[in-house]
Amino acid sequence: MEQLSYAEIQEQLRSASLESLPRLGISVLRNATVEPIEPYLCYLAWRAGLRAEVRFGRYDNILQDATDPSSELWEGSADAVLVFARLEELCPDLCYRFPALDADDVRAEIERVRGFAAATLRALRGHSRAAVLWHGFETPAHPAFGIHDSQSDAGQLRAVRDLNDALRQTLRDDGDAYFVDLDLGLARVGAERFYDPRTWHIGRAPYSREGLREIAEEDFKYVRALRGQAKKCLVLDCDNVLWGGVVGEDGLEGIQLAPDYPGSPYYEFQREARALYERGVILALCSKNNEDDVWQVFREHPHMILSEEHIAAARVNWDDKATNLTRIAKDLNIGLDSLVFVDDSEFEVGLVRETLPEVEVIHLPKAHAVRARELLASCGWFDTLTLSEEDRQRGRMYKAEARRRELETTTDLATYLRSLEMRACIRLVDGATVPRVAQLTQRTNQFNLTTRRYSEADIVRLEDASDSDVLYVRLADRFGDYGIVGAAILRHGVERPDRSEIDTLLLSCRVIGRGVEDAFLSACLELARQRGAASVCGRYAPTRKNRLVRDFYPERGFAMESDEGEETIYAFDLSERIPLPPDHLEGATLDARESAA
Amino acid sequence: MKDRVKKVISQVFGVPTEAIADDASPDTLEEWDSVTHLNLVLALEEEFGISLTDEQIVELLSCEIIVATVEESLG
Repeated sequence: MEQLSYAEIQEQLRSASLESLPRLGISVLRNATVEPIEPYLCYLAWRAGLRAEVRFGRYDNILQDATDPSSELWEGSADAVLVFARLEELCPDLCYRFPALDADDVRAEIERVRGFAAATLRALRGHSRAAVLWHGFETPAHPAFGIHDSQSDAGQLRAVRDLNDALRQTLRDDGDAYFVDLDLGLARVGAERFYDPRTWHIGRAPYSREGLREIAEEDFKYVRALRGQAKKCLVLDCDNVLWGGVVGEDGLEGIQLAPDYPGSPYYEFQREARALYERGVILALCSKNNEDDVWQVFREHPHMILSEEHIAAARVNWDDKATNLTRIAKDLNIGLDSLVFVDDSEFEVGLVRETLPEVEVIHLPKAHAVRARELLASCGWFDTLTLSEEDRQRGRMYKAEARRRELETTTDLATYLRSLEMRACIRLVDGATVPRVAQLTQRTNQFNLTTRRYSEADIVRLEDASDSDVLYVRLADRFGDYGIVGAAILRHGVERPDRSEIDTLLLSCRVIGRGVEDAFLSACLELARQRGAASVCGRYAPTRKNRLVRDFYPERGFAMESDEGEETIYAFDLSERIPLPPDHLEGATLDARESAA
Repeated sequence: MKDRVKKVISQVFGVPTEAIADDASPDTLEEWDSVTHLNLVLALEEEFGISLTDEQIVELLSCEIIVATVEESLG
């Protein structure tokens, strides 16, 4: 549930149009004040496409409310019944007087609780078929006998475990009642943050905001599983998700993936993904990369936990990810709403959230790679209430199925690109930008037409010379500034007096596919025209890494002039109209004052 | 400050900001009861990044008192 504040959640819910959504009736039986959980429940319901209607029973009237079919708790019928039966009210002796009890007292109390749970369920079943989510008893943070308690079979810790076992058994006998383990949420955030002693004393409200959020999220794992909304397929990006770094740039040896730091966060993440696979989750790849590079890592990297056999579908290419996710869903013949997509890039995450809202997205920012395993493990999207042998085989089955399919699709990419509010800035290089431009020529492998490497001194020389220009492009969008992401070098009148040549044209692979390349090329053509050229030539010099741009020039109106030897040479006739930069990019032309200088 | 407090009150109780008078209290706002009071406290703590004591919480019974208490907590 993102990190929305309490007030923001309430406000979002008020402005959401919930009326058209199917109702989810939630009735709460409780012996504590838990009303502040309502916005969290409603929010999570909304995220699951439901309109929650939450009703609270009377304080400490669990059995009475369960027994009374005319209670307003049951009006309009409940789909889920949440039970909060806390030890403090239910068995104050076990809670506060434990050292004064003998073994028989403890056993009698446990049996009393078992009887109470059974009676409550029996009463409920007299009038309701709702799924029951019964919150278990929490392990006391400070057990009655202190450190001795941990050694003893007669301590409070053991008594709470026995209570929970008795409760679990009773719930299992019902068939549609489930034990919600509050110790999990407690372990995640810690007692200090799970409880709020102020609201406990003021209003018998034991759980903090954060505690209630944890509890609501745990409850909704059950709700989703009960409604068959569990996700089926985990779609993984590769660079900075399965390994650290960019395989197309850093190569097989340069990426981070190992049992020890700095490769260990990725190693552990893969272990988690592999564990999901063993549990029946289908795995797929969706990555902007050269396909060969990715499979080389899968086949040859010594520390890969995942191998090709685990991947049921893969879309490794340079198309946008929304399109590729749609293809993956088709390949596997499952709905988009069965996909969970993991990516490190804010851009891709935003694109998918906006264009394919039914896909769940987990954002793994590179800066938080150490938390990646936990983010995946905590999501709960794949949780089911049962696990069959068939489930466990599912990953393998889908792999076979996927081989039989192919597809096509469209998504509203243009709308998304516009919504990014991208601003490009194309300039001639100056003292401050020389180092970054030189660095780009040295490091960029994938979107690089000629892969010519230049030092800072080279760039200065090229910029000072009257027969060459060095340009750069900077990009920002509503998520932030990407800095200088591309560079180009033009040489004028080298081969013929009326021709300019694009010596270098490159772009960081973080920003390709957004139209920056088109705007940048247009600016180069425009500048060549201002310098008096009648035509511009560009070449593609293939390397092992730059297949991505093989057809860059012909796709943009350049005609092939020669295809001899290593390089292909293309030319653009400047008497033709120069394509306009894409309209979703603001400021994507070369500053006229500067180019005149 | 007063506007921010009113905005939180309005978000928690779902009433327009204009309907919240400076002396708004559980007596004048129907939506403000002992349970929603806890919601309000949680929202205020989040909005202002403060932590109120139990004594402060039980005394936060009007918009004016909230403003004064929040200002005091922020130092």
